[in-house]
Amino acid sequence: MTTVTDSTDVRRPQRVVTGAAPAANGARIGTSGRGFQIVSAIVLIVFAIIWLIPSLFALKTSLTDNGVAALGAGSILKDWNPTLHSYASFFHAGDIWNWYIASAITSVITAVLTVFFASMAAFALSRLRFRGRNFTLLLIVLGIMIPTQVLIVPIFQELNAMNLLNTYWSVIFPQVPAVIAVFIFKQFFDGIPADLEEAARIDGAGRWRVYWSVILPLSRPVLAAVTILTFVGVWNNLLLPLFVLTNPDLMTIPVGLATVQSSYGQRYADIQAGAILAALPLIILYLVFQRQIVEGVTGSGLKG
Amino acid sequence: MTTAAPPIVRERPRPAPAPGGPSRSPLRRGDPGPAWLFLAPFGIFYLAFLIGPTIFMIVASFFNTSLVHTDLGSFAGFKNYAEMLTRADFWSAMWHTLQFTIYTTPPLVILAFIFAVLTNRVRRGQWFFRLAFFMPYVLPSATISLIWVFVFTPATGLWALVESWFGITPGNGVLANPNTAMIGIAIATVWWTLGFNFVLYLAGLQEIPRELYEAAAVDGASNWAQIRYITLPLLSRTTTLVILLQIIASLKIFDQVYLMTGGGPGISTQVALGLITGTAFTDDRVGAASAASVLLFIVIVAVAVVRQLFDRSAARKEA
Amino acid sequence: MATATGLTRRGFLTAGLVGLTLPALAGCADTVSAGLVGSQLNPKTLVYWNLFGGGDGTRMQTMEAGYQKTHGGAASLQSTTFAWGNPYYSKLTLATVGHKPPDVAISHLTRAKPLYDGGILEPITEEHLALVGLKASDFNPTPWNAQKTDGNNIAVPLDTHPLVMFYNVAVLKKAGLIGGDGQVVNLDSMDTFEAALAEISKVTKGPAITSANVGGETATEWRVFWTLYNQNSAATPFLSHDGADLTVNWDVFEDVTSRLQRWVKQGWLNSGLDYATAQSYMFTGKAGMYLEGEWELTTAQLIKGLDFDMAPLPTLYDRPAAQADSHTFVLPKKDRTPEQLEQVMGFIKSMLEQSMTWAKGGHIPAYLPIANSAAYHKLLPQAHYASAAQHAVYDDPAWYGGSGSTFEGIVGAQLGLVQQRAITPAQARQAITDQLKVYLNTPSPL
Repeated sequence: MTTVTDSTDVRRPQRVVTGAAPAANGARIGTSGRGFQIVSAIVLIVFAIIWLIPSLFALKTSLTDNGVAALGAGSILKDWNPTLHSYASFFHAGDIWNWYIASAITSVITAVLTVFFASMAAFALSRLRFRGRNFTLLLIVLGIMIPTQVLIVPIFQELNAMNLLNTYWSVIFPQVPAVIAVFIFKQFFDGIPADLEEAARIDGAGRWRVYWSVILPLSRPVLAAVTILTFVGVWNNLLLPLFVLTNPDLMTIPVGLATVQSSYGQRYADIQAGAILAALPLIILYLVFQRQIVEGVTGSGLKG
Repeated sequence: MTTAAPPIVRERPRPAPAPGGPSRSPLRRGDPGPAWLFLAPFGIFYLAFLIGPTIFMIVASFFNTSLVHTDLGSFAGFKNYAEMLTRADFWSAMWHTLQFTIYTTPPLVILAFIFAVLTNRVRRGQWFFRLAFFMPYVLPSATISLIWVFVFTPATGLWALVESWFGITPGNGVLANPNTAMIGIAIATVWWTLGFNFVLYLAGLQEIPRELYEAAAVDGASNWAQIRYITLPLLSRTTTLVILLQIIASLKIFDQVYLMTGGGPGISTQVALGLITGTAFTDDRVGAASAASVLLFIVIVAVAVVRQLFDRSAARKEA
Repeated sequence: MATATGLTRRGFLTAGLVGLTLPALAGCADTVSAGLVGSQLNPKTLVYWNLFGGGDGTRMQTMEAGYQKTHGGAASLQSTTFAWGNPYYSKLTLATVGHKPPDVAISHLTRAKPLYDGGILEPITEEHLALVGLKASDFNPTPWNAQKTDGNNIAVPLDTHPLVMFYNVAVLKKAGLIGGDGQVVNLDSMDTFEAALAEISKVTKGPAITSANVGGETATEWRVFWTLYNQNSAATPFLSHDGADLTVNWDVFEDVTSRLQRWVKQGWLNSGLDYATAQSYMFTGKAGMYLEGEWELTTAQLIKGLDFDMAPLPTLYDRPAAQADSHTFVLPKKDRTPEQLEQVMGFIKSMLEQSMTWAKGGHIPAYLPIANSAAYHKLLPQAHYASAAQHAVYDDPAWYGGSGSTFEGIVGAQLGLVQQRAITPAQARQAITDQLKVYLNTPSPL
């Protein structure tokens, strides 16, 4: 296992994070003066606080009474009677549950389909030789360059022709062909040494077995990263669901919050509670899978 | 992760059809059937939702296709293109895209670089800075927009409060004024997406061999000199990448504008995708919207090609 | 080691999430199956879309509750409010094109026409109306005739909402413009009105009248212009043939716009105020009069200690006119059983019968049994401007026209600049002609 991962450059993003480990860091710090250290820390802390303020202010507002929040930022900051009323009214109104479910279902199904199909394709491109392989690779490279957002109009027309508008599939299907995922998987698979699967071949394993029992288990980190990133990407998508989901019961949470007014009217505390509720699952996801997310973002950023 | 790991070189995109193929694989000489079976599921979606729509977009751009009719409509030739290329609001949308790029790129590059360099050097609490700078990046655009529209609330918002602390009389609100609305969107975007560049730079920093700094320190180079003569040049590739990615992202901007200003006041923040969706879904003119889509498509692909070429030349230089 | 614990923790969390999600999914089984297999949700519930925020939204909710009370409780009606303007009409179009429209929706009368032309709406026949005992003569003829398209009824008007004149009674009293009945004296004719403006200006030491024209506002400028333009007997339609021809009488355009510029130059009319500030000027006595749709009544009533009243804009030219639109009920195209049709018409009838609640927000009821009722005549200040509904002038039908449309956006923006005196009427004419060219030359996609 160690040999596998250490000899492949696809694990590189991992180092990004582990670079924070004391060993790597200590050496570097040796080259920084103490004064520089302090200045760096102060500058960083100031900016980090600036960066945290909008979120914290939103959180504070969401915990403030609507009447107080209406008086403006000054009153919100001075208020010390936190209340969960805005959250309660969201859950009571009920729409939010439907929106959560739409977001969860579309994100999970898209992530599963994308990871499964893209890794299969990447396996073929990395491990199998067949006619048209070079052409397929070319299609993949071209596919990476296609800006899918620009295709929103024809995609809408197509989904309409397929009678899929206002179903979860209208959000799922167009997001499955994430070409970048094939690219990332292929790079990873290319780095897995052949001896491992040769052993499996000698045991009589077919292609499917090699893919399923040898390659996939060795690819857990990259599978996790692509799964999480796809999930986050689908959860956060606005453009596609905004136009293909018009039924308020089926909207994903960003679309619901952005379009349905009765959910909060002009009540500031409620609006901010909605903003936080939309983000909450992602905040939890980030805290749990911080490493995979950062690795995945770095990896796909560098490649995509 | 052991220190014995071989030094990691920068990721080197391979030329698309890898020369020689994966010679280590024993599975390469099979009949073609199963390979296509592995490719088919992804391939179907690729054809149905990438290639198909692209072709339909190109076809529809030559017709007076309507949203409310099922047929293609009458043939229009290049009329849709001529219309878009002579429409003032098309060019103003392109200009707003450029304006957005100009406003967001310098802070996104400079601040992300500074934050990454400094974070890389502090002894403790890296997790905290990573959380502060990167977390907004995973949040939905809807959350970002709701937060920032609220911050920019005229007269009583947090922005106005801070302005008043500095003795500035809060005006009608950043987003209500055609001259400042795009700045408001840019501020929200920098706050939102800086984390992405931040982790890219952090990744780049990890790749700089520490021996370089040590040698420089022995030679008596100050911290600033080290950053200036080692870090900055060695991260130039990341910087170019960040800039190109930002240009592509700017061309595709939609969410923040739609949610924060709806393209207004007037059309002062309308961007290309806003114009396209408006033409298709409000004016019902799928044909004209398709022509605008094709034009935007060409611009984005051109930038992406520049990026590929750049990646390759960079890889060649390294090799 | 660390990974091992990490994995278990993650496993635990995953299990927890799954454990929480499954019951939630089960609880919303209907929604989930609708999302996955496109099955219909709550077929018995009437789905209604509207665009009412603020005070209108609150009153509409009261009326919805009234319907629910008499029609089987909360489950009888599902109402969704969207942000108004182009995005609302896009959603309505997309939903209908995608075969999942609401059962009934609110549309502005001027926007219902392009929707109808696009095949988004079903005509409403006399038989449909008769299902719930409604007939054409139950409605104010101005909106009723305005909604008729190609001989069909396409929308059931709920109200008329014209541009009106709000005024600060204290300020006008000082200017000697309040009559014995406590209302503004007759200011018809241009000379009378301008003399009044001069008097008010003396009192306020600033503008006499305000009207929003900056900060992204384009609709108000259009409303003011279209009102004054149509008071001219020489007025022609701005657009003809469903938006294919620009037929505005440019002489009248020139006359009205240079008149507005003159008022600004005299200091009578503001040169640049946004929507909220324009009204706050009148509220605080910095101006005597304020031009906007009657719906701002709700806002004005919330201002403590403000003595204000409302009136139709005086007839400054040849004849009375007030730019207006109507909120209407429309039926998006879908297959309906006779029961469903009756359900929808029953809902519309119920809303019309509750028009009195609606009228409190300023809108003039289109349903005559309410509009002619003693209760409505007693409602103040509504009764003072209700006659404006008789002289309502709607925007010209055009596929890119109507309230909050591309057309209003283009023309209103130029009119806003004229009022700022940033451009001359001739330059506005040029810009309007240039910018409308695309739309004039494009065959209607409908």
